[in-house]
Amino acid sequence: MKQILLIVLMLLVLRVQADKPDQIISCHVNELTFEQFCTVIFQKSGVKVYYKSSWTADLKVSIQADSITVFDAVSRAIRGTTLQLSVWNDNLVLLPDQVLISELPEFETADQENAPTEQQSKTLTTSEERYLTGRKAEVIQTLRVGESGSQLRGKKAKILGRVLDQETGEPVFYATVFIEETQTGAVTDVNGFFTLSLKPGKYYIVFDFLGYEKKKYQLEVLSDGNFSIQLSKTVYQIEEFVVYGDRQRSMKEKDPGLDKISMRSVKELPMLMGERDILKVSTTLPGIVNVGEGNAGLNVRGGGADQNAFYINNIPIFNPTHLFGFFPAFNSDIIKDFSVYKGHIPAAFGGRLSSVFNIITRRGNRKNFTAHGGISPISANIVVEGPLKKETVSVLLSARSTYSDWILQRIKDPDIRNSKAGFYDLAGGINFDNQNTQSSIFFYHSKDRFQLADLTEYDYANSGISFNVGYNFSKTLRGEFALVGAQYAFNTIDKQEISSAYKHDYQLGNYELKADFKHQLNEKHSLDFGASMVLFKLNRGTVQPFGFQSIRKTMELGNEQGLESAIYLADSWEVMPRLTLNTGLRLGLFNPVGPKTVYTYADGFPTDIRYINDSISFGRNEVIKWYVQPDLRIALNYETDEYGAVKLAFNQMHQNLFMLNNTISVAPNTQWKLADYHLKPSQSNQFSAGVFRTIPRMGLEFSAELYYKLTKNYPEFKDGAGFLDSPQVETTVLQGEQQAAGIELFLKRSSRRLEGWLTYTYSRSLVQVNNGQQWNSINAGKTYPANFDIPHVLNMVLNYHLSRRVSVSSIITYQTGKPITYPISAYYNEGTPYFDYSDRNAYRLPNYFRIDLSLTFEGNLKKKKLIHSSLNLSLYNLTGRDNPYAAYFKVENGRIRSYQYAIIGVPVFTATWIFKIGNYASE
Amino acid sequence: MLRSNIALALVILFVFLLGCEKPFDPNIKGSDARKYVINGGVFAGDSLQRLAISQTSAISNPEYLPVSRCQVIIADDRGNSFTMTDVGNGNYLANIDQAYLLPGTAFKVEITTPDGSRLESDYDTLLPVSTLEAVYYEIEVHEGNNPDDLTQGVQFFLDMQGNSNDSRNYRWKVFETYEYHSMYAREWYYDGEVHHIVPPDSSTMYCWRTDQIAEIFTLTTSNLNENAIVSYPLHFVSNRSVRMEYGYSLLVKQYALSNAAYIYWDQMRQNSLQGGSLYETQPLAIKGNMHHLSNTDQEVLGFFGASQVVSRRIFLTNPGLNLDYNSTCSPTGLRFGVGEIDPRYYPAFLMGDAVTYYPVWLHDECVDCTLMGGVTVKPDFWPY
Repeated sequence: MKQILLIVLMLLVLRVQADKPDQIISCHVNELTFEQFCTVIFQKSGVKVYYKSSWTADLKVSIQADSITVFDAVSRAIRGTTLQLSVWNDNLVLLPDQVLISELPEFETADQENAPTEQQSKTLTTSEERYLTGRKAEVIQTLRVGESGSQLRGKKAKILGRVLDQETGEPVFYATVFIEETQTGAVTDVNGFFTLSLKPGKYYIVFDFLGYEKKKYQLEVLSDGNFSIQLSKTVYQIEEFVVYGDRQRSMKEKDPGLDKISMRSVKELPMLMGERDILKVSTTLPGIVNVGEGNAGLNVRGGGADQNAFYINNIPIFNPTHLFGFFPAFNSDIIKDFSVYKGHIPAAFGGRLSSVFNIITRRGNRKNFTAHGGISPISANIVVEGPLKKETVSVLLSARSTYSDWILQRIKDPDIRNSKAGFYDLAGGINFDNQNTQSSIFFYHSKDRFQLADLTEYDYANSGISFNVGYNFSKTLRGEFALVGAQYAFNTIDKQEISSAYKHDYQLGNYELKADFKHQLNEKHSLDFGASMVLFKLNRGTVQPFGFQSIRKTMELGNEQGLESAIYLADSWEVMPRLTLNTGLRLGLFNPVGPKTVYTYADGFPTDIRYINDSISFGRNEVIKWYVQPDLRIALNYETDEYGAVKLAFNQMHQNLFMLNNTISVAPNTQWKLADYHLKPSQSNQFSAGVFRTIPRMGLEFSAELYYKLTKNYPEFKDGAGFLDSPQVETTVLQGEQQAAGIELFLKRSSRRLEGWLTYTYSRSLVQVNNGQQWNSINAGKTYPANFDIPHVLNMVLNYHLSRRVSVSSIITYQTGKPITYPISAYYNEGTPYFDYSDRNAYRLPNYFRIDLSLTFEGNLKKKKLIHSSLNLSLYNLTGRDNPYAAYFKVENGRIRSYQYAIIGVPVFTATWIFKIGNYASE
Repeated sequence: MLRSNIALALVILFVFLLGCEKPFDPNIKGSDARKYVINGGVFAGDSLQRLAISQTSAISNPEYLPVSRCQVIIADDRGNSFTMTDVGNGNYLANIDQAYLLPGTAFKVEITTPDGSRLESDYDTLLPVSTLEAVYYEIEVHEGNNPDDLTQGVQFFLDMQGNSNDSRNYRWKVFETYEYHSMYAREWYYDGEVHHIVPPDSSTMYCWRTDQIAEIFTLTTSNLNENAIVSYPLHFVSNRSVRMEYGYSLLVKQYALSNAAYIYWDQMRQNSLQGGSLYETQPLAIKGNMHHLSNTDQEVLGFFGASQVVSRRIFLTNPGLNLDYNSTCSPTGLRFGVGEIDPRYYPAFLMGDAVTYYPVWLHDECVDCTLMGGVTVKPDFWPY
């Protein structure tokens, strides 16, 4: 890491000296580096030149002059670069593309708001200036926007700003921008852009984002214009550095039911087997549960595992985990932002009922090449990034793989010992960034293979590529365009019985085109609008005999296609200074399209091949059904005072793609299926209300949210349904109603030595499938708890900084046991005992409880170093509690014995070495 | 046979230790409601038709609760009906002439219990059954938890060949019969004084035990190209038992099932396989084809089926296993003589030869093979 020589503008030291930049010196230098040249200048004149060494790395200076001012000499030296020379306190300052404003900065005085916009600085004498500057609490840089003399006549100027990371040049998104005088603000978008609309004049503008130094500027607005600023990451070189003040805004900006996880907090949490699992961290947030180890799915606010959409840079991921849910399918090190929408889902998203997990990766360092990675007993990962062209083109590549077979060979069970398992994932992107256009190409590929002895083989892969372009049409209108291709495929070979051994390939293609616009209409209205079109192409595959002895019948499960189109418009309206109304309308249209032959069934009979009474053929691209899906999304945000807000939301969603799954957990060969002629899209309405409050003095944030969600046409599968036996899925599925309700409490403490969060959720999720007859109802038409109905969930995440280099963190999880069907009585047939079972999910497993601990040692915190390492020691399930995954019953010697089965019933210890080029704070 | 212990696999995948299985108390309230359970049917090929009527028992105290004194009538869809005779212990028998048991005929059962409940089944059509081509075995070696820990045993298989007109759903019942011996004949015993039996009494030395294999074997060939299967695996008998020592006979009965019967038995099979696997469906309350006519809310468990049945028996003597089992007989040495024996255990048998006894107490299981569940009557199918 190169040392930064950049001037510290806020230095309060005033050096008293007679030397002036305009004194005349004689200068004869030849082919000197700029640094050597500056030494010469300093020796001759006592004038210092402040600059960043990287700006002048390639510069060679040759000057032959007998009498030249210092100012002119330095100007000549930097000729041909974009650097600008300014005078500051009798010394010289170099800035790229920017002249240091020479006027006297404003004071922070009580009558600031009434301060005249006319500058008075020119009338001050030098001594007065020094006197005043010396008394200032902080010296503030001024940003000037637009040109003077423009005739706005009291109208507001439109300003487009951009926030970039000083070190890497990447955009800083979701940073808050706040104007003190008007008490208004904005949040930067994913490209770091934000828009403001302000009357000409002077303002104090504050930029703030987690992990960055808060920066305050004076903003002088003359007319429409744009500017960009750079924020630097907080590097704790002083003993303690606590920033608080405007943080409560992040709470107030928060959409109802939007959760964000900062990567910094993830990095310090306990790891399982040396992996940072952002999905696991998300389950410590209220309303998101995972029903135990070995379960790949997440359940958000009482919804099924298939009701969540996962996107990584616009690429949908259909199976977001490796190895049956033990690891996330993407390298956490490349994630820049991770947002989970579960309440008010922006109108730009559709297609899933419960939530959207939106992952945005980093863009790659735009200034230097760097690398980082980690090595654990199970897997290793590496990320390489850097500029292809400085400041404009950057590249990021990530790879991760496992080498786990050596562990399997040490396992006692013979079937496991002869098994193989592995995964890898790759991701990468190239980003182009000009002032008005940002474009990127991003690809992603993950692959898993698992071979269980000589019985079963699974492999599955997610792949995708996205082209993204963002363009600023004007100061207030920005467009984002994306072209996305993604595919999910799996392959199963089942060799358990030679006569019926089979092979099955499945493929799901997702091709999407979308355009999203953001238009700042005026200071009260901000519009989001756009359109998208997704073509789903499913090849449900063919079940083929495997091996020459197999006489399995070849079963074509068929192809299907569907087109999901949508347009949306959303308006964020500041009704009153403290009241914001967000209204979104998304009009979706789903069309299953041919070619397809659809069977119809006799009315009043079970949907069974025995009752087929007709068939309808649809030609190529012929529309089979029109499903019109209007979604209304409303959110109301009222700021009760400076520190709190009340939010109300109504959210409507539709879902056209389902998982065919009737097992307790999501298997790696679970098929996705589109809504079709028979299977109707699901639809949900969610009401939510929440209160949010911050206590900045104590670093606390608190929220309480209530929700009620009703889902119609919720698909459930008939008892004993199989999905490989027939292409007619309608014969195995029934649709019913699902109700979910809950209360979510959240308390967070941050920026303290002891930080973390505590959440408690009470929720229920109940399903009823009653279509009037025994054959089209489940559980005799009675309401039953969903498989993931977990009423009580308590999570505590703690992080304690023992010192700046050693931190301890812990996750404590408690949840009610998941529902289960138990035997309630016994009977005998021909001497063998059998059980009679209860209603579906009438009982619960014992409660789930787990403590994880982790200890992280950081390498030294020197700012200038080549490689920074850290060591993470993690302990998963500290108490070794046997959290039951399942319970079952056996008859032994005429007595019925019950057993529970725990997936990880012992403490698991892992050590991981993590390295990166650069210092502690580098990315 | 579905081996879905992927779960197990996962469990341990990345954990050095096995995921653990341990007993626990699920605290089930249970149900006091006694439901009727019917098991039986009409099987062309069996000389006697059997039906068992019982009731469910509490989960905490499972027991067979037979229901006797029911009126049981089997009716076909051609107007014939046959009364079954109560033979006690919840069993009912009927002797139906095979001429009535023709493929294509549907049968049902009507039951009136002593308390007046009327139970009735749906009709189940008697279907023709395919040929049971072969039942055979192979010696297999199974690896244990330690790679050196090998278990040798006999794995049984069957081959079945049907034609396109036959039913494509199958169930097999498997019965094993094996011969075993007690280690000693009754020759000397002590009941306060020592007696010598001449000649030694070997009447309880040779036993044969017959059991039904509890596992449910079902198959549908509807997803296969042919109505046939080869090497369908039945059960495994390891070398850790006495079963293969003298003689082992296996009887496989093959039934052709209607779709309803197949769904019922296959769900029963899946329920019985519950073992905590990961990608397993939850067990479910299985509906058979019985109805309670007097109280329609009351569930009746079980399935009344009709089928042709064919069977095949094979016999094994010493298939070449290295047997490695512990005898149940472990004589006790009497250091202070026969007086040590507690009178409660009289008569106590003693080790000895034709001339004298030794101070070694042979517990009853050393001289009486019937204590291990067998009978001393040699089955008539026994080949020697």
